[in-house]
Amino acid sequence: MSTVTEVSVRARNDVRVSGTPGARPMVFAHGYGCDQAMWRYVAPGFEADHQVVTFDHVGFGNSDLSAHDPQRHGSLRGYAADVVDVLTELDLTDVVFVGHSVSAMIGVLAHAMAPERIGAMVMVGPSARYVDDDEDGYVGGFTRAQLRELLESLDANHLAWSTLIAPEVMGNPDRPELAAELTASFCRTDPDVARRFARISFLSDNRADLAGVDVPTLVLQCSEDVIAPVTAGRYVHEHVAGSTFVQLAATGHCPHLSAPEETSAAIRAWL
Amino acid sequence: MTDSRETAAPPVAREHRLDDGVREALDQLLDDDPADLYENAPCGYLSMLADGTIVKVNRTLCSWLGMPAERVLRTRLRDLLSLGGQVFHDAHLTPLLRMQGAAREVALDVVRADGSLLPCLVNAVEVRDAHERPLIVRATLFEASARRRYELDLLAAQRAAEASEVRSRTLQRFVSDLAAAVATEDAAQVVVHRSRQAVRATGAALWLVAVDAARPDVTEPAAVLTASEKVPAALLEALDQTSPGRVDLVLSSGVRTVPVTERLGEAWPALAAAAAEARVTDLVVVPVTADGAHLGALLLTLGDELDGDLISLAEPTAHRSLATADVDLLCTLGRQAGQALERARLHEETARQAERSGFLLDAARMLARATGVTESVERLAEMVVPRLADLCVLDLIGEHGLARVVARHGDPARQRFVDALRAWAPPHRDLPAPARTALAEGRTRWFTTIDEAQLAAMARGAEEVAAARALELVSLVAVPLIAEGRTLGVMTLAVDRRRRPFTSADVELAEQLGLQVALMMAKAQRYELEARTSHTLQATLLPPPPPPVPGVTVAVRYLAATSGVEIGGDFYDVAPLPGGHVAIAVGDVVGHDITAAATMGQLRSVYRALLVEAPAPAAVIDRLQASWPLLGLQRMATALFATLDLPSGVLHVASAGHPPPLLVAEGRAGFLPVVPSRMLGAPPAPAVEWRGVVPPGATLVLFTDGLVESRTSDIDAGLERLRAAADRAAANGPDELCDRLLADLAGTHRADDIALLALTRDP
Repeated sequence: MSTVTEVSVRARNDVRVSGTPGARPMVFAHGYGCDQAMWRYVAPGFEADHQVVTFDHVGFGNSDLSAHDPQRHGSLRGYAADVVDVLTELDLTDVVFVGHSVSAMIGVLAHAMAPERIGAMVMVGPSARYVDDDEDGYVGGFTRAQLRELLESLDANHLAWSTLIAPEVMGNPDRPELAAELTASFCRTDPDVARRFARISFLSDNRADLAGVDVPTLVLQCSEDVIAPVTAGRYVHEHVAGSTFVQLAATGHCPHLSAPEETSAAIRAWL
Repeated sequence: MTDSRETAAPPVAREHRLDDGVREALDQLLDDDPADLYENAPCGYLSMLADGTIVKVNRTLCSWLGMPAERVLRTRLRDLLSLGGQVFHDAHLTPLLRMQGAAREVALDVVRADGSLLPCLVNAVEVRDAHERPLIVRATLFEASARRRYELDLLAAQRAAEASEVRSRTLQRFVSDLAAAVATEDAAQVVVHRSRQAVRATGAALWLVAVDAARPDVTEPAAVLTASEKVPAALLEALDQTSPGRVDLVLSSGVRTVPVTERLGEAWPALAAAAAEARVTDLVVVPVTADGAHLGALLLTLGDELDGDLISLAEPTAHRSLATADVDLLCTLGRQAGQALERARLHEETARQAERSGFLLDAARMLARATGVTESVERLAEMVVPRLADLCVLDLIGEHGLARVVARHGDPARQRFVDALRAWAPPHRDLPAPARTALAEGRTRWFTTIDEAQLAAMARGAEEVAAARALELVSLVAVPLIAEGRTLGVMTLAVDRRRRPFTSADVELAEQLGLQVALMMAKAQRYELEARTSHTLQATLLPPPPPPVPGVTVAVRYLAATSGVEIGGDFYDVAPLPGGHVAIAVGDVVGHDITAAATMGQLRSVYRALLVEAPAPAAVIDRLQASWPLLGLQRMATALFATLDLPSGVLHVASAGHPPPLLVAEGRAGFLPVVPSRMLGAPPAPAVEWRGVVPPGATLVLFTDGLVESRTSDIDAGLERLRAAADRAAANGPDELCDRLLADLAGTHRADDIALLALTRDP
């Protein structure tokens, strides 16, 4: 980790810094399914009074795919270590870490690794465990069978990606517009990385890590979120001491896209 | 993907010769086209508000769904999707539409009214107002059943290819890791670790058969747990007690999967209980073979499938069956493991052989240096533990019968258990069974394992059983110590469970060691006998302290050489003669062994016999020379004979090849110029007698050459050193003079004996 140079960390995670230099930093971390473009309707609103940082997890968006290490990125801890690298490289402290979906837990892990860097956390649609736990009655929203089916069906889309688009680009060097289209499109992910990321996102159990969160935390819970149901958000709220729970009217799993005003307002009000 | 071009160039524009009737019908159809095309298009259409509510849907989609339009309207697209579809819709499709206004070829499964799934590919566009706010989302759905099947086949083929690649990588890594492992333990660790990874087993353990081809008759071969990973101790113990510990299972061929079921519980209740406790659903046994020989068994436990620290998706109690390819892989791993383990064993055996040779050499060197039996065996025990064994006991037959001379444990913490066994050892009690039998029958007793029954048979009481159990002894060998046809004792070696049991090579080493010890003991016993004999002889042969003689004060000293027997061929003699005379003699028989001592004894006796006639010193030499052949004395000798007339101090001295006497008078020392004749035993020649006077208060010093000889200088230098020492001595009386001369001249390492006699004439 320490051998990574400034240039390579910035390039590795396609780190983008905007807003007010010297102001309190806000770091936005995208969740499963897309890349940092997801924050385009929310992050700019904080630029006036914050230093705004967005980035892509390795394997997503414009990140350096060659930096993907199956060992390191075989668990959420590796992604959290990447986050710590970014914070260290930019030398950020008292960061407001805004994590969507699985990145909320990546933030929890990053905070445990570098507690001096993160001063507040906003969790958008968090879940500490997606699989129900029959032993202690925890409701994550998915049975094992449902999650098996989910991962299978996600695979179908990852396969479509790799079999339809990649060969077209690879096999047509004389048609640069195909590659250009691919580069210009959002939410591009390496299908293999996306598949693995889906696995570690949905199969991790970070409930025990919640107790380590000792900074002000805001839990933003969407309505009718099939990925992170209210029970999961409530659980996070109840297990992060002193956290604030806000129920959004926004439906689905991406309130920062479907209801950016409401999402921004909730964050701003809490800050 | 050519539809757009088709609509841009209407086919009717071309010149076709068509029937008027057909043209009319076609025109009618094309007039109705927009509505008809929407409702009955060969794909599903729907339109949604920004919040996802469906506000328009075509007939095609309704019929695919098996639902009337009224039911579809005012639901949301995500509500029509399977769970996976919902997640992908929320996490991917919606963000894409918001960000780039369109999404292409998203694979989603729609749930029909009857619950069946309809695989679809969805294309969607987001229509926005002038302020880029979303107004409506239009989506087309294409049925993709055949394509999805094809994709799934493709996916399955890709997975199979990946799995096959993973297996081949696993095998490669397995082989290369094994190649790097030199020791059996390392190889075993690789086998356990890699095979566990290969089939994602929850745990793995390897038992190896402790076969000793050289001594198959001694005990049955046992399977020894050599390595394990993530198998709970209770399960390992249960396995040890049941199948894998037994040879029959090891010898079974092929990979076998044993489900943890009630049936297993009937046969092996403890095993089934331990497996259930460890949440193991199946046990897989893989034979480990090399060139057809069964070396052991690899056991894998299947259960809640582990995937790093991720949650397992398998139902906790579901039995897992291994894929055929995995079974084949395990077979190959078993064979590879066998070959590597065999190689490691050979390598270790070679190394061990070299170590044994070194050990025997060290032992031989140590025993060669040693002088006493007790010291030797104690130092031997220090070598044996921990190099060869954990426990070393030596019971030796001595003068007073059998005694436990050494009982040493390599682990200081366990020495107290060994000490506790002292009470049960000779001479208090008889030996334990293995040592007793070895001693009685004169043959080695070897136990590769010690089970409870054997322990009970070996031990002589509950306390002994308890101590032996505390020592955790697993293997034992008792070697009789036999040399020159005599049994001298028994050496018992044992190892505890932290070390592997004794092999035949270990036993051979112990036997060779036993032979060395026995030879050393025999040699030491002979030496001791010789020493005792020579002590007795010396006590007999050495002259008694000189009797008090009026008119003179006499002091004598006898120092044996520091190596060899403690007696030599030197002697002194002081005998008062009738008529106020005293006869003095000092002699030195060549050599300092038993023969020299015996010759000296004879010489002194003959001399004493001659004294009856009070011959002059020269006559003593002449007579001894004359009778030498008759006496049959085997060694030559030098001697100095003198008579002193006590009242006058007149001294007669004659020398047979002996250093001259020293006279110390008035603080000055000087040698008397006695001319030596030939040595006793050499061809005779007439002896020359010297005559002089010893003044009152003067001291006459007679000595043997041990006092003046040295390895570094000649005898003249030695004589001068003696004279100078006597000059300096300024002693008060002959006793003090003797002490001072010896202190000055006799070193701590003497190659020869010294006899010294000092006689002071009373002033």
